[in-house]
Amino acid sequence: MSGRTRIPGRLPDAVTAWLARGVIVFLYVPIVAVVVLSFNDSDVTYKWAGFSTRWYGTLAQDTDLLSALRVSAEAGVISATLATFGGLFAAMGMARLGPRGRALFSGGLFLPLVIPEIVLGVALLSVFGMLKATLGLGTLVLGHLVVTLPYAALIVLGAHRALDPALDEAAADLGCGVWQRFRLVTVPLLKQALLASWLLCFTISFGNIVMSTFTSGVGTTTLPLRVYSLLKTGLTPEINALGTLLVLFTFVIILGAGLRQMRRVLVGDDSG
Amino acid sequence: MAAVTVAAAPPPTGTVSPAARTDRIRHHAVTVALLAPAGLTVVALVLVPLVLVVRNSFARPDPYGGIRGGFTFSNYHELLDPVYLKVFGYSLGMAALNTAVCLLLGYVVSYYLAGRPPQRQGLLLLLLIVPFWTDFLVRTFAWINLLSPGGPVNALTDAVGLTDGQVQWIPSQGASFVGLVYAFLPTAIFPIYATLRGVDPSLGEAARDLGCGWWRVHIRVLLPLVRPGLLAAALLTFVPTLGVFVIPVLLGGGKNQLVGNLIVTLYTEFRNQPMGAAASVALLVLMIVSAAVLGTAASRLRRKAS
Repeated sequence: MSGRTRIPGRLPDAVTAWLARGVIVFLYVPIVAVVVLSFNDSDVTYKWAGFSTRWYGTLAQDTDLLSALRVSAEAGVISATLATFGGLFAAMGMARLGPRGRALFSGGLFLPLVIPEIVLGVALLSVFGMLKATLGLGTLVLGHLVVTLPYAALIVLGAHRALDPALDEAAADLGCGVWQRFRLVTVPLLKQALLASWLLCFTISFGNIVMSTFTSGVGTTTLPLRVYSLLKTGLTPEINALGTLLVLFTFVIILGAGLRQMRRVLVGDDSG
Repeated sequence: MAAVTVAAAPPPTGTVSPAARTDRIRHHAVTVALLAPAGLTVVALVLVPLVLVVRNSFARPDPYGGIRGGFTFSNYHELLDPVYLKVFGYSLGMAALNTAVCLLLGYVVSYYLAGRPPQRQGLLLLLLIVPFWTDFLVRTFAWINLLSPGGPVNALTDAVGLTDGQVQWIPSQGASFVGLVYAFLPTAIFPIYATLRGVDPSLGEAARDLGCGWWRVHIRVLLPLVRPGLLAAALLTFVPTLGVFVIPVLLGGGKNQLVGNLIVTLYTEFRNQPMGAAASVALLVLMIVSAAVLGTAASRLRRKAS
């Protein structure tokens, strides 16, 4: 859009541009506040009393939070791995279906995305209750699998669709068996997408609170559940310190997944 | 499932040789094996549980928080109590308002983004990905920092002269609403931007050359073209808002509850599973109805436009 053709709408365009910039700033103000206030040498979060890193020390010694962190990490690793493999196999299987079958299967796969997560949580709890299953890491992982699988499928399916089927056929003509083709052709070509899927599923699982409320057991409180119960009695600088580490963790994940992959997932950008 | 026709297994013409038939059987077996993990997960962990919730919503509770069985409409009847109806009404209003604000701001940000040079777009997109990917709970408690009495927002309004002394910004309905918008705004931006980016900018320019003013370019040309993105953004905002329970507790003080709070309370505090199941089914129905309404509204608008 060149300047010449915009003349009739120059003022409204300027107003929307400033509004948009304001929105982007609005998105950052709370995050910056968490980071800054985590270095606050005060017992209350909002009164600045000088710079200090003592809350990070407190955090490092909080055994309750550390054990919750371990549960979240374990659930995240297991469910992200299962979801990514499930998504990969589903993508490979769907490539072998006709258009109708593909539409039907992807409809089922993306169903959990349009059902309120709280209903999915309640539903799983009902099944666990009926089976008299003990709530713990196992049920937690199953719950997180439900919420991560659609995302894994979304990412891997998109990348798999972009693959040239001739590559797989060429490998078959050259005498590769099914397993060899999977290991030597499909997986290496999808490496970037699989990594992105894993990392995204891990963060979804790690930050999940709604599903975890219904599927975690007495000894398997996740980090968000622990933080939520702490927050009910009030926000402390220690929680801000934890929040800062989680913001840092967000950067690591985004860089790890690769910006291009991230953009492709969120806005379908293939140009790069 | 539809018939499988893929290059790897050519459909037989005329007589079927035994070799071709074993090939086809093997091909089907591999397909089924590949689809089984995800398929079984959805059936066992989504479809079967949903059926069970519907069943439980007609059951009677036992005093220990379980299900006694039987068949009754009393749970749904009880759901018509004004106390519960108020929660549903408030939730719908809150979700509708949140969706409207997120769509409006999402469109403004997307329009701004789409008008930048490609290099800048990439950078701005990264700026939007960070808050989107920041932990939900962190994004919620961040507002407690800002809105605490004597906190930054309070200091600012004091300095401007808007308030005098320590004002109680949280807990309040307003704080709860700000938290909801903040939580869902990035979710709304991406689908709108994704569709707007695919719109040829020369369409807007052509409309301008033909005499459309700024508003008309947006309302008559751009907005109809971005409708799929707006619809996706609306669904991704409206449905999850109804199920949220953390934000009303932390920022709203738990006074004005959403359906999400109601369900969690019924399950964990009242230990009344059938009532919780009935509320969940009601939420599910609300969601289906709102999706249908959004869908019809979109297709009606499309017909009107053409």
